[in-house]
Amino acid sequence: MSALLEISNLSAKVGGKNVLNGLSLTIGAGEVHAIMGPNGSGKSTLSYVLAGRPGYEITGGSVRYRGADLLSLPTEERARAGLFLGFQYPVEIPGVNNVYLLKAALNAKRKASGQQEVDAYEFLQLVRAKMKLMQIDESFLKRGVNEGFSGGEKKRNEILQMLVLEPALAVLDETDSGLDIDALKVVAKGVNSLRSSERGVLLITHYQRLLDHVVPDFVHVLARGRIAKTGGKELALELERRGYDWVLEVA
Amino acid sequence: MSALPDIALPTNRDENWRYANLRPLAKAKSDAIAAHDPATPVDLPAILPDYERWVFIDGHYSRELSTDTDASCARLIGVREAGDTLLTMLDLDLAQAGVDFSLARVNGARGDVVLHIAPPDRAQARIEIIFIASAAAAAGTSYPRVQVHGGRSSHLRLVERHLSAGATDPLVNAAVDIALRADGIVDHCRVQNCADGAGCFDTLTAHVGERATYRLRTVTLGGIASRSTIFVKLAGRAARCEFSAAVIANGSQGHDVFAGIDHVAPGTSTRETFRGIATDRGKLAFNGKMIVRETAHGADSDQSLKSLLTGSGAEAAARPQLEIYTDKVSAKHGATTGKLDEQMLFYLLSRGLDRLQAQALLQWAFIEETVSQVELAPLRLEIEQLIATRLNEISRLEGLVTNS
Repeated sequence: MSALLEISNLSAKVGGKNVLNGLSLTIGAGEVHAIMGPNGSGKSTLSYVLAGRPGYEITGGSVRYRGADLLSLPTEERARAGLFLGFQYPVEIPGVNNVYLLKAALNAKRKASGQQEVDAYEFLQLVRAKMKLMQIDESFLKRGVNEGFSGGEKKRNEILQMLVLEPALAVLDETDSGLDIDALKVVAKGVNSLRSSERGVLLITHYQRLLDHVVPDFVHVLARGRIAKTGGKELALELERRGYDWVLEVA
Repeated sequence: MSALPDIALPTNRDENWRYANLRPLAKAKSDAIAAHDPATPVDLPAILPDYERWVFIDGHYSRELSTDTDASCARLIGVREAGDTLLTMLDLDLAQAGVDFSLARVNGARGDVVLHIAPPDRAQARIEIIFIASAAAAAGTSYPRVQVHGGRSSHLRLVERHLSAGATDPLVNAAVDIALRADGIVDHCRVQNCADGAGCFDTLTAHVGERATYRLRTVTLGGIASRSTIFVKLAGRAARCEFSAAVIANGSQGHDVFAGIDHVAPGTSTRETFRGIATDRGKLAFNGKMIVRETAHGADSDQSLKSLLTGSGAEAAARPQLEIYTDKVSAKHGATTGKLDEQMLFYLLSRGLDRLQAQALLQWAFIEETVSQVELAPLRLEIEQLIATRLNEISRLEGLVTNS
């Protein structure tokens, strides 16, 4: 079976500056990978390049997702093909309510895979169950997307969207930042509930503490736009203890 | 109306008419259209619960299409009587201010009848007026006329619609005059959805008495050219005006609004919201003029004017203007013109929505703030549908309704 995601020698520029410099990473089905690294190492750039954000110029390399060329697809088709980006800073969209976005997103995905639109009753049941898991009050459904949400609420809302869309590959960009320990546990529970032998997860994080709750199969250190070191979950603990400098020196 | 002078048509050289497209006005025959049956059947919107309905075709009352209005506080009067009433119910300088701008009074003696609405003291009334333009501009002009004289502590809920049937290029020149006594309330919702080739011009004056509130919600969607000229005078202590305008200019439509709100008495207040979307080569203009007189201590005005441009040829000119003659006042204003937010667009695309759907959704989100202020739920729903149609994405926006 081919890998879920295969990034080969990927280089990318933002605002004329090289941020990714020959990054290679393979994620197999059923695997959870964590990418750690200092500020400015290219972590968020990687997530945006994978999702297809405008303004990020690919200067070399390739990304194959389920065997197909991911970079040739527009953002919306990547999403419908099962790629989900959990934003570090989810944007507020007053005037578009959460439940509308959830339903439109789910239907876009179903339509792309030849399924019928979701039945209104079934949809509500599904969303309610996931909201309960994420400890989100039902009143959130009728509020504008992320409008007036606290930092923690926004992150839980990202995970809620992920649970409703059930992506094959979830890229979570610093989903743990700004969370208190209780919220972190809720988010971790959500991510863990999605783990399965068919799915992959890429966790981008600054800190080790999320990895206590979502235990990764692989930990990578990103430095200067490429993977500087790869290890198991124990690497995260070592980074927590020793910082990044020793890895950067070796790299 | 004989007391009011006859004036020439406005031109774009006049600062207050700079952005209006006056061509349809110049081209049309200015005679009032004679009473007639419309050539094509008229498709009326569903009846609003508890509202009486008055229907006018090219300015003429249609008994068949209207509901039974025997017990109504509204009645039809002749233009001459209306002219006299206007002068007694309004202070003359407001009527005069209207004249300086008014298209309505250019041909003041023309037109047929005026719908005079006078809820007595402490009365409640719900009235829907539908003006249908059915004849071509070459045949004449339609002159809808409304007068409101709200009694003390009365509450009038007024829905005013402008539609067309048949002709693709009618010319409508409407005049609405409102006077409100102490503690009265008028909730006025105006929806203009005429044919895309229509010329829609109107003049609206309102004189608001002590502690009275005038709420105006306008939705402007139809017509190749439209111009609303609005004068509100907050004449009584603590009088209040709330005005929100939603405007969409598609294709080569051009919509222009002039709103002058005059704070005369102490403690008067205004909330003004404009949200306009211009696509393709659409053009929008909103001139919000706030005057605060020396006598208006403690006046409080707030203007928020925002335009969204989504076409390379789209234009918008939203101008807040303040004229303040006292220090004891709070006057906030903001005007922005921008394009769709790239971050919001990317967020929606990253959730799998297609680009057209995402763009329509963000346009919707932009204008929703004004639509949500329409309190009457069935009407709000209808307006949402009309807007979705204008955004060319009705099926994509299906199910997107505000939940109140």
